[in-house]
Amino acid sequence: MSEQQLDLRAEEQARQPASIGDYFKNIWDAVTTTVAGMKITGRYFLQKPITVQYPDEQMPIPERYRGIHYLEQDKCIECNACARACPIDCIEMEAVRHGKELEWIKFTIDYQKCMFCELCVYPCPADCIHMGTEFAFVTEDRSEFNLDLLSYKGMSRDARIRMKEAAEKKAAKEAAKKAKAKAEAEKKAAEGGDTPSEDGGEEGTDA
Amino acid sequence: MIGLQESPEVAAAAAAPIAGGGNWTLHFLQGITPEAVPGWILPIVTASISVGVVIAMISVIAMLSVWLERKVSGHIQCRYGPMYAGGWHGWAQTIADGVKLLTKEDMVPSGADKPLFMLAPAIVLGAIFGAFVAMPLAPDYFFADINLGVFFILGMSSLTTIGVVMSGWASNSKWSLYGAMREAAQVVAYEIPLGISLMVALICAGTFNLIDASEAQRDFWGMGWFIFKNPFVIPAVVLFFVATLAETKRAPFDLPEAESELVAGFLTEYSGIRWSFFFMEEYAAMFLMSLVMAVFFFGGFESPVTYLAAESMGLGYDHLVTNLLGAVTLIVKSMMGVLLMMWIRWTLPRVRIDQVMTMGYKYLTPLALVCVLGAALWEAGKQAIL
Repeated sequence: MSEQQLDLRAEEQARQPASIGDYFKNIWDAVTTTVAGMKITGRYFLQKPITVQYPDEQMPIPERYRGIHYLEQDKCIECNACARACPIDCIEMEAVRHGKELEWIKFTIDYQKCMFCELCVYPCPADCIHMGTEFAFVTEDRSEFNLDLLSYKGMSRDARIRMKEAAEKKAAKEAAKKAKAKAEAEKKAAEGGDTPSEDGGEEGTDA
Repeated sequence: MIGLQESPEVAAAAAAPIAGGGNWTLHFLQGITPEAVPGWILPIVTASISVGVVIAMISVIAMLSVWLERKVSGHIQCRYGPMYAGGWHGWAQTIADGVKLLTKEDMVPSGADKPLFMLAPAIVLGAIFGAFVAMPLAPDYFFADINLGVFFILGMSSLTTIGVVMSGWASNSKWSLYGAMREAAQVVAYEIPLGISLMVALICAGTFNLIDASEAQRDFWGMGWFIFKNPFVIPAVVLFFVATLAETKRAPFDLPEAESELVAGFLTEYSGIRWSFFFMEEYAAMFLMSLVMAVFFFGGFESPVTYLAAESMGLGYDHLVTNLLGAVTLIVKSMMGVLLMMWIRWTLPRVRIDQVMTMGYKYLTPLALVCVLGAALWEAGKQAIL
Protein backbone atom coordinates (compact mmCIF):
# COMPACT_ATOMS: atom_id res chain seq x y z
CA MET A 1 0.00 0.00 0.00
CA SER A 2 1.40 3.38 -0.90
CA GLU A 3 2.04 6.09 1.63
CA GLN A 4 -0.81 8.17 0.29
CA GLN A 5 -3.23 5.31 0.67
CA LEU A 6 -2.06 4.74 4.22
CA ASP A 7 -2.59 8.42 4.98
CA LEU A 8 -6.10 8.26 3.55
CA ARG A 9 -6.87 5.18 5.57
CA ALA A 10 -5.63 6.81 8.77
CA GLU A 11 -7.77 9.84 8.02
CA GLU A 12 -10.78 7.66 7.45
CA GLN A 13 -10.19 5.87 10.73
CA ALA A 14 -9.78 9.18 12.52
CA ARG A 15 -13.08 10.43 11.09
CA GLN A 16 -14.97 7.41 12.37
CA PRO A 17 -16.04 7.76 15.98
CA ALA A 18 -14.55 5.21 18.34
CA SER A 19 -17.04 2.47 19.01
CA ILE A 20 -18.14 1.44 22.47
CA GLY A 21 -16.35 -1.84 21.84
CA ASP A 22 -13.08 0.04 21.47
CA TYR A 23 -13.76 1.76 24.77
CA PHE A 24 -14.01 -1.48 26.68
CA LYS A 25 -11.15 -2.99 24.73
CA ASN A 26 -8.97 -0.05 25.83
CA ILE A 27 -9.88 -0.66 29.46
CA TRP A 28 -9.17 -4.37 29.09
CA ASP A 29 -5.84 -3.67 27.37
CA ALA A 30 -4.81 -1.17 30.04
CA VAL A 31 -5.52 -3.62 32.84
CA THR A 32 -3.97 -6.70 31.22
CA THR A 33 -0.82 -4.95 30.01
CA THR A 34 -0.28 -3.36 33.41
CA VAL A 35 -0.67 -6.72 35.10
CA ALA A 36 1.71 -8.34 32.60
CA GLY A 37 4.31 -5.65 33.21
CA MET A 38 3.96 -5.89 36.96
CA LYS A 39 4.41 -9.65 36.78
CA ILE A 40 7.73 -9.15 35.04
CA THR A 41 9.00 -6.51 37.45
CA GLY A 42 7.72 -8.56 40.37
CA ARG A 43 9.72 -11.53 39.17
CA TYR A 44 12.84 -9.40 38.91
CA PHE A 45 12.13 -7.97 42.36
CA LEU A 46 12.09 -11.42 43.90
CA GLN A 47 15.16 -12.79 42.17
CA LYS A 48 18.64 -12.29 43.53
CA PRO A 49 20.35 -9.18 42.19
CA ILE A 50 22.99 -9.90 39.57
CA THR A 51 25.26 -7.03 40.53
CA VAL A 52 28.33 -7.68 42.66
CA GLN A 53 29.25 -5.50 45.65
CA TYR A 54 32.56 -4.63 44.06
CA PRO A 55 35.16 -3.82 46.69
CA ASP A 56 33.85 -6.57 48.96
CA GLU A 57 33.49 -9.24 46.32
CA GLN A 58 34.77 -9.47 42.77
CA MET A 59 33.67 -11.06 39.57
CA PRO A 60 36.02 -13.89 38.53
CA ILE A 61 38.62 -12.51 36.11
CA PRO A 62 38.79 -14.34 32.77
CA GLU A 63 41.87 -16.37 32.06
CA ARG A 64 43.06 -14.27 29.16
CA TYR A 65 42.27 -10.94 30.81
CA ARG A 66 44.62 -8.12 29.83
CA GLY A 67 45.47 -6.15 32.93
CA ILE A 68 48.61 -4.44 34.09
CA HIS A 69 51.71 -6.33 32.87
CA TYR A 70 54.03 -8.30 35.02
CA LEU A 71 57.63 -8.88 34.15
CA GLU A 72 59.79 -11.88 34.92
CA GLN A 73 62.84 -9.74 35.35
CA ASP A 74 65.36 -12.56 35.71
CA LYS A 75 64.40 -14.02 32.36
CA CYS A 76 64.48 -10.71 30.52
CA ILE A 77 67.42 -10.18 28.24
CA GLU A 78 66.77 -6.51 27.47
CA CYS A 79 66.38 -7.18 23.79
CA ASN A 80 63.89 -4.28 23.32
CA ALA A 81 61.60 -6.50 21.23
CA CYS A 82 58.57 -5.53 23.26
CA ALA A 83 59.37 -1.84 23.10
CA ARG A 84 59.74 -2.06 19.33
CA ALA A 85 56.49 -3.98 19.01
CA CYS A 86 54.56 -1.44 21.07
CA PRO A 87 52.40 0.62 18.68
CA ILE A 88 52.40 3.66 20.97
CA ASP A 89 55.94 3.42 22.31
CA CYS A 90 55.05 3.36 25.95
CA ILE A 91 57.70 0.82 27.02
CA GLU A 92 61.15 2.04 27.93
CA MET A 93 63.97 -0.07 29.32
CA GLU A 94 67.54 0.57 30.33
CA ALA A 95 70.21 -1.76 31.69
CA VAL A 96 73.98 -2.03 31.75
CA ARG A 97 75.48 -5.23 30.47
CA HIS A 98 78.21 -6.98 32.39
CA GLY A 99 79.01 -9.83 30.09
CA LYS A 100 75.93 -11.98 30.18
CA GLU A 101 74.46 -10.36 33.30
CA LEU A 102 72.32 -7.20 33.35
CA GLU A 103 72.42 -4.35 35.80
CA TRP A 104 68.86 -2.98 35.62
CA ILE A 105 68.18 0.73 35.68
CA LYS A 106 64.54 0.85 34.54
CA PHE A 107 61.76 -0.97 32.72
CA THR A 108 58.77 1.38 32.57
CA ILE A 109 55.37 1.17 30.90
CA ASP A 110 53.39 4.41 30.74
CA TYR A 111 49.84 3.37 31.59
CA GLN A 112 48.50 6.73 30.53
CA LYS A 113 49.33 5.61 27.00
CA CYS A 114 49.14 1.84 27.19
CA MET A 115 46.04 0.41 25.54
CA PHE A 116 46.54 -3.17 26.75
CA CYS A 117 46.79 -4.54 23.20
CA GLU A 118 49.07 -7.40 24.26
CA LEU A 119 51.31 -6.83 21.20
CA CYS A 120 54.35 -6.57 23.48
CA VAL A 121 53.82 -10.07 24.80
CA TYR A 122 54.12 -12.04 21.56
CA PRO A 123 57.54 -10.97 20.27
CA CYS A 124 59.35 -11.60 23.56
CA PRO A 125 62.03 -14.26 22.86
CA ALA A 126 62.46 -15.05 26.56
CA ASP A 127 58.72 -15.16 27.25
CA CYS A 128 59.18 -12.86 30.22
CA ILE A 129 56.47 -10.16 29.83
CA HIS A 130 52.84 -11.13 30.48
CA MET A 131 49.46 -9.46 30.87
CA GLY A 132 48.37 -9.52 34.52
CA THR A 133 44.96 -9.50 36.18
CA GLU A 134 45.25 -6.23 38.09
CA PHE A 135 42.96 -3.55 36.65
CA ALA A 136 42.21 -1.13 39.51
CA PHE A 137 44.94 1.46 39.33
CA VAL A 138 44.32 4.73 41.15
CA THR A 139 46.84 7.39 42.04
CA GLU A 140 46.75 11.02 42.99
CA ASP A 141 49.68 11.84 40.74
CA ARG A 142 49.77 11.28 37.01
CA SER A 143 53.48 10.58 37.01
CA GLU A 144 52.81 7.44 38.97
CA PHE A 145 51.06 5.98 35.95
CA ASN A 146 54.49 5.64 34.38
CA LEU A 147 54.94 2.43 36.28
CA ASP A 148 58.29 0.74 36.78
CA LEU A 149 57.81 -2.99 36.45
CA LEU A 150 61.21 -3.87 37.88
CA SER A 151 61.07 -5.79 41.11
CA TYR A 152 64.64 -4.75 41.90
CA LYS A 153 67.14 -2.26 40.55
CA GLY A 154 70.73 -3.06 39.69
CA MET A 155 71.82 -6.67 39.68
CA SER A 156 70.19 -9.51 41.43
CA ARG A 157 72.07 -11.48 44.06
CA ASP A 158 72.00 -14.53 41.82
CA ALA A 159 73.41 -12.57 38.91
CA ARG A 160 76.18 -11.26 41.11
CA ILE A 161 77.01 -14.78 42.26
CA ARG A 162 76.85 -16.05 38.71
CA MET A 163 79.09 -13.25 37.59
CA LYS A 164 81.56 -13.93 40.35
CA GLU A 165 81.51 -17.63 39.58
CA ALA A 166 82.01 -16.94 35.92
CA ALA A 167 84.93 -14.64 36.71
CA GLU A 168 86.44 -17.29 38.98
CA LYS A 169 85.95 -19.95 36.35
CA LYS A 170 87.55 -17.75 33.75
CA ALA A 171 90.44 -17.03 36.04
CA ALA A 172 90.78 -20.72 36.84
CA LYS A 173 90.62 -21.58 33.14
CA GLU A 174 93.21 -19.03 32.32
CA ALA A 175 95.39 -20.23 35.13
CA ALA A 176 94.97 -23.78 33.88
CA LYS A 177 95.79 -22.69 30.37
CA LYS A 178 98.82 -20.87 31.62
CA ALA A 179 99.93 -23.86 33.62
CA LYS A 180 99.42 -26.10 30.63
CA ALA A 181 101.37 -23.80 28.39
CA LYS A 182 104.14 -23.61 30.93
CA ALA A 183 104.18 -27.36 31.28
CA GLU A 184 104.34 -27.77 27.54
CA ALA A 185 107.15 -25.29 27.32
CA GLU A 186 109.03 -27.08 30.01
CA LYS A 187 108.47 -30.35 28.24
CA LYS A 188 109.73 -28.94 25.01
CA ALA A 189 112.71 -27.50 26.81
CA ALA A 190 113.44 -30.88 28.33
CA GLU A 191 113.06 -32.65 24.98
CA GLY A 192 115.17 -30.36 22.89
CA GLY A 193 117.80 -28.90 25.24
CA ASP A 194 120.23 -28.74 22.35
CA THR A 195 118.32 -25.96 20.70
CA PRO A 196 118.69 -22.96 22.96
CA SER A 197 117.66 -20.55 20.23
CA GLU A 198 114.16 -22.05 20.14
CA ASP A 199 113.94 -21.97 23.91
CA GLY A 200 114.76 -18.32 23.93
CA GLY A 201 112.13 -17.70 21.28
CA GLU A 202 109.53 -19.45 23.34
CA GLU A 203 110.36 -17.42 26.39
CA GLY A 204 109.96 -14.32 24.30
CA THR A 205 106.39 -15.29 23.27
CA ASP A 206 105.51 -16.04 26.85
CA ALA A 207 106.45 -12.57 27.91
CA MET B 1 -10.57 17.96 68.73
CA ILE B 2 -7.57 18.54 70.86
CA GLY B 3 -7.06 21.88 72.47
CA LEU B 4 -10.68 22.87 72.17
CA GLN B 5 -12.16 21.09 75.13
CA GLU B 6 -13.37 23.14 78.06
CA SER B 7 -11.56 22.59 81.33
CA PRO B 8 -14.57 21.26 83.37
CA GLU B 9 -15.21 18.64 80.71
CA VAL B 10 -11.53 17.88 80.66
CA ALA B 11 -11.57 17.31 84.40
CA ALA B 12 -14.55 15.00 84.01
CA ALA B 13 -12.82 13.14 81.22
CA ALA B 14 -9.72 12.78 83.34
CA ALA B 15 -11.71 11.02 86.00
CA ALA B 16 -13.06 8.57 83.45
CA PRO B 17 -10.84 5.70 82.27
CA ILE B 18 -8.85 6.12 79.12
CA ALA B 19 -11.13 3.68 77.34
CA GLY B 20 -13.69 4.99 74.94
CA GLY B 21 -11.57 7.47 73.05
CA GLY B 22 -10.15 10.80 74.00
CA ASN B 23 -6.69 12.17 74.00
CA TRP B 24 -4.17 10.13 75.93
CA THR B 25 -1.61 12.91 75.98
CA LEU B 26 -4.08 15.26 77.62
CA HIS B 27 -5.09 12.65 80.18
CA PHE B 28 -1.50 11.94 80.99
CA LEU B 29 -0.63 15.61 81.41
CA GLN B 30 -3.66 16.14 83.64
CA GLY B 31 -2.48 13.31 85.80
CA ILE B 32 0.95 14.80 86.45
CA THR B 33 0.45 18.59 86.51
CA PRO B 34 0.07 20.34 89.89
CA GLU B 35 -3.15 22.24 90.48
CA ALA B 36 -1.46 25.64 90.44
CA VAL B 37 -1.07 25.37 86.64
CA PRO B 38 -4.03 27.06 84.91
CA GLY B 39 -6.27 24.68 82.92
CA TRP B 40 -5.94 26.45 79.56
CA ILE B 41 -2.24 25.67 79.34
CA LEU B 42 -2.73 21.93 79.09
CA PRO B 43 -4.62 21.86 75.74
CA ILE B 44 -1.97 24.15 74.22
CA VAL B 45 0.84 21.91 75.48
CA THR B 46 -1.08 18.88 74.24
CA ALA B 47 -1.52 20.45 70.82
CA SER B 48 2.20 21.25 70.62
CA ILE B 49 3.11 17.70 71.59
CA SER B 50 0.66 16.29 69.06
CA VAL B 51 2.07 18.49 66.31
CA GLY B 52 5.55 17.34 67.26
CA VAL B 53 4.48 13.72 67.17
CA VAL B 54 2.81 14.15 63.76
CA ILE B 55 5.83 15.90 62.26
CA ALA B 56 8.29 13.40 63.72
CA MET B 57 6.24 10.41 62.67
CA ILE B 58 5.57 11.62 59.15
CA SER B 59 9.22 12.58 58.68
CA VAL B 60 10.33 9.14 59.81
CA ILE B 61 7.79 7.45 57.54
CA ALA B 62 8.81 9.66 54.60
CA MET B 63 12.48 8.86 55.17
CA LEU B 64 11.71 5.17 55.46
CA SER B 65 9.69 5.34 52.25
CA VAL B 66 12.54 7.06 50.40
CA TRP B 67 14.91 4.30 51.50
CA LEU B 68 12.33 1.68 50.58
CA GLU B 69 11.81 3.24 47.18
CA ARG B 70 15.51 3.06 46.45
CA LYS B 71 15.72 -0.53 47.58
CA VAL B 72 12.60 -1.53 45.61
CA SER B 73 13.78 0.21 42.47
CA GLY B 74 17.16 -1.40 42.88
CA HIS B 75 15.82 -4.90 43.27
CA ILE B 76 13.38 -4.48 40.40
CA GLN B 77 16.38 -3.58 38.25
CA CYS B 78 18.39 -6.55 39.59
CA ARG B 79 20.73 -4.45 41.70
CA TYR B 80 20.97 -3.79 45.42
CA GLY B 81 20.37 -0.08 45.94
CA PRO B 82 22.08 1.65 48.88
CA MET B 83 24.13 -0.86 50.86
CA TYR B 84 26.72 0.99 52.96
CA ALA B 85 25.36 4.00 54.89
CA GLY B 86 24.48 2.90 58.41
CA GLY B 87 25.58 -0.70 58.00
CA TRP B 88 22.52 -2.85 57.46
CA HIS B 89 21.44 -2.51 53.81
CA GLY B 90 22.12 1.22 53.83
CA TRP B 91 19.27 2.08 56.19
CA ALA B 92 20.81 5.45 57.05
CA GLN B 93 21.15 6.56 53.43
CA THR B 94 18.21 8.96 53.66
CA ILE B 95 19.56 10.49 56.87
CA ALA B 96 22.90 11.03 55.15
CA ASP B 97 21.15 12.60 52.16
CA GLY B 98 19.06 14.77 54.47
CA VAL B 99 22.14 16.08 56.25
CA LYS B 100 23.75 16.80 52.90
CA LEU B 101 20.66 18.68 51.72
CA LEU B 102 20.54 20.67 54.96
CA THR B 103 24.10 21.87 54.49
CA LYS B 104 23.53 23.03 50.91
CA GLU B 105 23.29 26.66 49.98
CA ASP B 106 19.77 28.08 50.04
CA MET B 107 19.51 29.46 46.52
CA VAL B 108 16.84 31.62 44.93
CA PRO B 109 17.28 32.16 41.20
CA SER B 110 17.56 35.75 40.00
CA GLY B 111 14.28 36.90 38.49
CA ALA B 112 12.30 34.57 40.72
CA ASP B 113 9.41 35.91 42.77
CA LYS B 114 11.28 35.52 46.03
CA PRO B 115 8.46 35.54 48.62
CA LEU B 116 6.34 33.11 46.60
CA PHE B 117 9.35 30.97 45.80
CA MET B 118 10.19 30.61 49.46
CA LEU B 119 6.60 30.17 50.57
CA ALA B 120 5.72 27.36 48.15
CA PRO B 121 7.57 24.47 49.87
CA ALA B 122 6.18 25.57 53.22
CA ILE B 123 2.62 25.51 51.88
CA VAL B 124 3.12 22.10 50.30
CA LEU B 125 4.59 20.54 53.41
CA GLY B 126 2.24 22.35 55.78
CA ALA B 127 -0.80 21.18 53.84
CA ILE B 128 0.27 17.55 53.93
CA PHE B 129 1.10 17.71 57.65
CA GLY B 130 -2.26 19.37 58.20
CA ALA B 131 -3.96 16.49 56.46
CA PHE B 132 -2.30 14.06 58.86
CA VAL B 133 -4.03 15.74 61.79
CA ALA B 134 -7.20 13.86 60.86
CA MET B 135 -5.31 10.60 60.67
CA PRO B 136 -6.07 8.24 63.54
CA LEU B 137 -2.94 6.65 64.99
CA ALA B 138 -4.83 3.96 66.84
CA PRO B 139 -8.56 3.39 67.43
CA ASP B 140 -8.32 5.38 70.66
CA TYR B 141 -5.38 7.61 69.91
CA PHE B 142 -5.92 10.46 67.50
CA PHE B 143 -5.17 14.13 67.28
CA ALA B 144 -8.45 15.29 65.86
CA ASP B 145 -11.58 13.17 65.64
CA ILE B 146 -13.16 15.09 62.76
CA ASN B 147 -16.62 14.04 61.62
CA LEU B 148 -15.78 14.94 58.03
CA GLY B 149 -12.29 13.48 58.37
CA VAL B 150 -11.94 12.22 54.83
CA PHE B 151 -13.19 15.52 53.41
CA PHE B 152 -10.56 17.28 55.46
CA ILE B 153 -7.81 14.94 54.26
CA LEU B 154 -8.76 15.24 50.58
CA GLY B 155 -9.09 19.01 50.91
CA MET B 156 -5.73 19.43 52.58
CA SER B 157 -3.95 17.13 50.15
CA SER B 158 -5.43 19.09 47.24
CA LEU B 159 -4.00 22.22 48.81
CA THR B 160 -0.51 20.98 47.95
CA THR B 161 -1.37 21.69 44.31
CA ILE B 162 -1.50 25.39 45.16
CA GLY B 163 2.02 25.18 46.50
CA VAL B 164 3.17 23.37 43.38
CA VAL B 165 1.56 25.90 41.04
CA MET B 166 3.03 28.67 43.16
CA SER B 167 6.52 27.18 42.90
CA GLY B 168 6.16 26.77 39.15
CA TRP B 169 5.06 30.36 38.66
CA ALA B 170 7.59 31.87 41.07
CA SER B 171 10.61 30.01 39.70
CA ASN B 172 10.78 32.17 36.54
CA SER B 173 11.61 29.10 34.48
CA LYS B 174 9.69 27.65 31.56
CA TRP B 175 10.26 24.10 32.81
CA SER B 176 8.81 24.92 36.20
CA LEU B 177 5.85 26.66 34.64
CA TYR B 178 5.10 23.73 32.33
CA GLY B 179 5.32 21.36 35.29
CA ALA B 180 2.97 23.48 37.36
CA MET B 181 0.47 23.77 34.51
CA ARG B 182 0.48 20.03 34.08
CA GLU B 183 0.01 19.54 37.80
CA ALA B 184 -2.97 21.88 37.82
CA ALA B 185 -4.59 20.20 34.82
CA GLN B 186 -3.92 16.75 36.21
CA VAL B 187 -5.30 17.46 39.66
CA VAL B 188 -8.45 19.03 38.25
CA ALA B 189 -8.95 15.94 36.12
CA TYR B 190 -8.29 13.41 38.86
CA GLU B 191 -9.93 15.00 41.89
CA ILE B 192 -13.28 13.99 40.42
CA PRO B 193 -12.73 10.23 40.05
CA LEU B 194 -10.83 10.24 43.35
CA GLY B 195 -13.78 11.64 45.24
CA ILE B 196 -16.40 9.66 43.35
CA SER B 197 -14.66 6.30 43.77
CA LEU B 198 -14.23 7.05 47.46
CA MET B 199 -17.99 7.62 47.56
CA VAL B 200 -18.43 3.89 47.02
CA ALA B 201 -16.67 3.17 50.30
CA LEU B 202 -18.55 5.99 51.99
CA ILE B 203 -21.84 4.40 50.89
CA CYS B 204 -20.73 1.17 52.58
CA ALA B 205 -19.42 2.95 55.67
CA GLY B 206 -22.20 5.47 56.11
CA THR B 207 -19.76 7.92 57.68
CA PHE B 208 -17.00 10.35 56.77
CA ASN B 209 -15.14 9.71 60.01
CA LEU B 210 -12.08 7.50 59.62
CA ILE B 211 -12.38 5.80 63.00
CA ASP B 212 -16.08 5.07 62.56
CA ALA B 213 -15.43 3.74 59.06
CA SER B 214 -12.80 1.43 60.46
CA GLU B 215 -15.16 0.24 63.19
CA ALA B 216 -17.86 -0.44 60.60
CA GLN B 217 -15.59 -3.14 59.12
CA ARG B 218 -15.27 -5.04 62.40
CA ASP B 219 -16.83 -8.31 61.23
CA PHE B 220 -15.97 -11.93 60.30
CA TRP B 221 -12.73 -12.21 62.28
CA GLY B 222 -11.85 -8.62 61.50
CA MET B 223 -12.18 -9.32 57.78
CA GLY B 224 -15.44 -7.48 57.10
CA TRP B 225 -13.53 -5.15 54.84
CA PHE B 226 -15.52 -2.99 52.45
CA ILE B 227 -13.67 -4.50 49.49
CA PHE B 228 -15.50 -7.76 50.24
CA LYS B 229 -18.78 -6.05 50.91
CA ASN B 230 -20.16 -5.67 47.41
CA PRO B 231 -18.91 -6.30 43.88
CA PHE B 232 -18.73 -2.63 42.94
CA VAL B 233 -16.09 -1.83 45.53
CA ILE B 234 -13.35 -3.83 43.80
CA PRO B 235 -13.30 -1.72 40.59
CA ALA B 236 -13.72 1.34 42.80
CA VAL B 237 -10.50 0.44 44.65
CA VAL B 238 -8.64 0.24 41.34
CA LEU B 239 -10.06 3.57 40.20
CA PHE B 240 -9.23 5.16 43.54
CA PHE B 241 -5.70 3.82 43.40
CA VAL B 242 -5.13 5.12 39.87
CA ALA B 243 -6.52 8.50 40.89
CA THR B 244 -4.23 8.62 43.95
CA LEU B 245 -1.25 7.93 41.69
CA ALA B 246 -2.15 11.02 39.69
CA GLU B 247 -2.94 12.99 42.84
CA THR B 248 0.43 12.27 44.42
CA LYS B 249 2.31 12.94 41.13
CA ARG B 250 3.66 9.40 41.01
CA ALA B 251 4.69 7.57 37.87
CA PRO B 252 3.10 6.83 35.43
CA PHE B 253 1.45 10.20 36.11
CA ASP B 254 4.57 12.11 37.19
CA LEU B 255 4.11 14.66 34.43
CA PRO B 256 4.69 17.69 36.68
CA GLU B 257 8.19 16.39 37.36
CA ALA B 258 8.86 14.57 34.05
CA GLU B 259 12.63 14.54 34.36
CA SER B 260 13.15 13.39 30.78
CA GLU B 261 11.13 16.26 29.29
CA LEU B 262 11.06 19.13 31.77
CA VAL B 263 14.45 18.80 33.54
CA ALA B 264 12.68 18.39 36.89
CA GLY B 265 9.39 20.19 36.26
CA PHE B 266 8.34 22.44 39.10
CA LEU B 267 11.38 21.31 41.11
CA THR B 268 13.86 22.59 38.52
CA GLU B 269 14.95 25.72 40.39
CA TYR B 270 14.80 24.24 43.86
CA SER B 271 17.74 22.83 45.76
CA GLY B 272 18.80 21.94 49.26
CA ILE B 273 16.28 21.92 52.05
CA ARG B 274 13.46 23.47 50.00
CA TRP B 275 13.76 20.72 47.45
CA SER B 276 13.73 18.13 50.21
CA PHE B 277 10.44 19.64 51.45
CA PHE B 278 8.82 18.82 48.12
CA PHE B 279 10.38 15.39 48.20
CA MET B 280 9.11 14.69 51.70
CA GLU B 281 5.66 15.91 50.68
CA GLU B 282 5.57 13.38 47.86
CA TYR B 283 6.25 10.46 50.18
CA ALA B 284 3.99 11.79 52.92
CA ALA B 285 1.20 12.16 50.35
CA MET B 286 1.77 8.60 49.18
CA PHE B 287 1.45 7.38 52.74
CA LEU B 288 -1.61 9.53 53.35
CA MET B 289 -3.42 8.30 50.25
CA SER B 290 -2.54 4.69 51.03
CA LEU B 291 -3.84 5.28 54.53
CA VAL B 292 -7.17 6.57 53.24
CA MET B 293 -7.34 3.56 50.93
CA ALA B 294 -6.50 1.20 53.81
CA VAL B 295 -9.09 2.76 56.11
CA PHE B 296 -11.94 2.91 53.59
CA PHE B 297 -11.37 -0.23 51.55
CA PHE B 298 -9.08 -2.58 53.46
CA GLY B 299 -10.47 -2.59 56.95
CA GLY B 300 -8.50 0.14 58.72
CA PHE B 301 -7.51 -1.13 62.14
CA GLU B 302 -9.42 -4.35 61.68
CA SER B 303 -7.59 -7.56 60.87
CA PRO B 304 -7.53 -11.09 62.28
CA VAL B 305 -4.70 -9.95 64.56
CA THR B 306 -6.76 -7.26 66.27
CA TYR B 307 -9.74 -9.61 66.32
CA LEU B 308 -7.69 -12.25 68.13
CA ALA B 309 -6.46 -9.75 70.69
CA ALA B 310 -9.83 -8.16 71.27
CA GLU B 311 -12.22 -11.11 71.12
CA SER B 312 -10.33 -14.38 71.53
CA MET B 313 -8.00 -13.11 74.23
CA GLY B 314 -10.82 -11.11 75.73
CA LEU B 315 -8.92 -7.85 75.92
CA GLY B 316 -11.66 -5.83 74.27
CA TYR B 317 -11.28 -3.12 71.69
CA ASP B 318 -10.30 -0.43 74.19
CA HIS B 319 -7.29 -2.24 75.58
CA LEU B 320 -3.82 -0.80 75.03
CA VAL B 321 -2.59 -3.97 73.30
CA THR B 322 -5.51 -3.95 70.86
CA ASN B 323 -4.83 -0.30 70.14
CA LEU B 324 -1.16 -0.97 69.47
CA LEU B 325 -1.97 -3.92 67.22
CA GLY B 326 -4.53 -1.77 65.41
CA ALA B 327 -1.94 0.94 64.84
CA VAL B 328 0.57 -1.58 63.52
CA THR B 329 -2.10 -3.13 61.27
CA LEU B 330 -2.99 0.22 59.76
CA ILE B 331 0.62 1.24 59.20
CA VAL B 332 1.43 -2.12 57.60
CA LYS B 333 -1.60 -1.83 55.30
CA SER B 334 -0.62 1.70 54.34
CA MET B 335 2.96 0.67 53.67
CA MET B 336 1.66 -2.09 51.41
CA GLY B 337 -0.13 0.61 49.43
CA VAL B 338 3.08 2.64 49.26
CA LEU B 339 4.94 -0.46 48.10
CA LEU B 340 2.36 -1.04 45.37
CA MET B 341 2.80 2.56 44.21
CA MET B 342 6.55 1.97 44.01
CA TRP B 343 6.04 -1.25 42.11
CA ILE B 344 3.83 0.58 39.60
CA ARG B 345 6.35 3.39 39.30
CA TRP B 346 9.18 1.05 38.35
CA THR B 347 7.00 -0.90 35.94
CA LEU B 348 5.13 1.59 33.79
CA PRO B 349 6.53 4.34 31.59
CA ARG B 350 5.17 7.87 31.87
CA VAL B 351 2.00 8.57 29.88
CA ARG B 352 1.52 11.59 27.66
CA ILE B 353 -0.44 14.60 28.93
CA ASP B 354 -3.30 13.99 26.47
CA GLN B 355 -3.42 10.36 27.58
CA VAL B 356 -3.56 11.51 31.19
CA MET B 357 -6.50 13.77 30.37
CA THR B 358 -8.24 11.07 28.33
CA MET B 359 -7.83 8.58 31.13
CA GLY B 360 -9.10 10.99 33.77
CA TYR B 361 -12.13 12.35 31.96
CA LYS B 362 -13.14 9.58 29.55
CA TYR B 363 -12.39 6.48 31.58
CA LEU B 364 -12.01 7.01 35.32
CA THR B 365 -14.86 9.48 35.85
CA PRO B 366 -17.63 7.53 34.06
CA LEU B 367 -16.47 4.23 35.53
CA ALA B 368 -16.40 5.73 39.02
CA LEU B 369 -19.95 7.00 38.49
CA VAL B 370 -21.06 3.53 37.38
CA CYS B 371 -19.43 2.07 40.51
CA VAL B 372 -21.20 4.55 42.79
CA LEU B 373 -24.54 3.86 41.14
CA GLY B 374 -24.04 0.11 41.34
CA ALA B 375 -22.88 0.18 44.95
CA ALA B 376 -25.79 2.40 45.98
CA LEU B 377 -28.33 0.15 44.27
CA TRP B 378 -26.70 -2.95 45.75
CA GLU B 379 -26.77 -1.58 49.29
CA ALA B 380 -30.33 -0.28 48.88
CA GLY B 381 -31.43 -3.61 47.46
CA LYS B 382 -29.77 -5.47 50.31
CA GLN B 383 -31.55 -3.33 52.85
CA ALA B 384 -34.88 -3.79 51.04
CA ILE B 385 -34.49 -7.58 50.89
CA LEU B 386 -33.03 -8.29 54.34
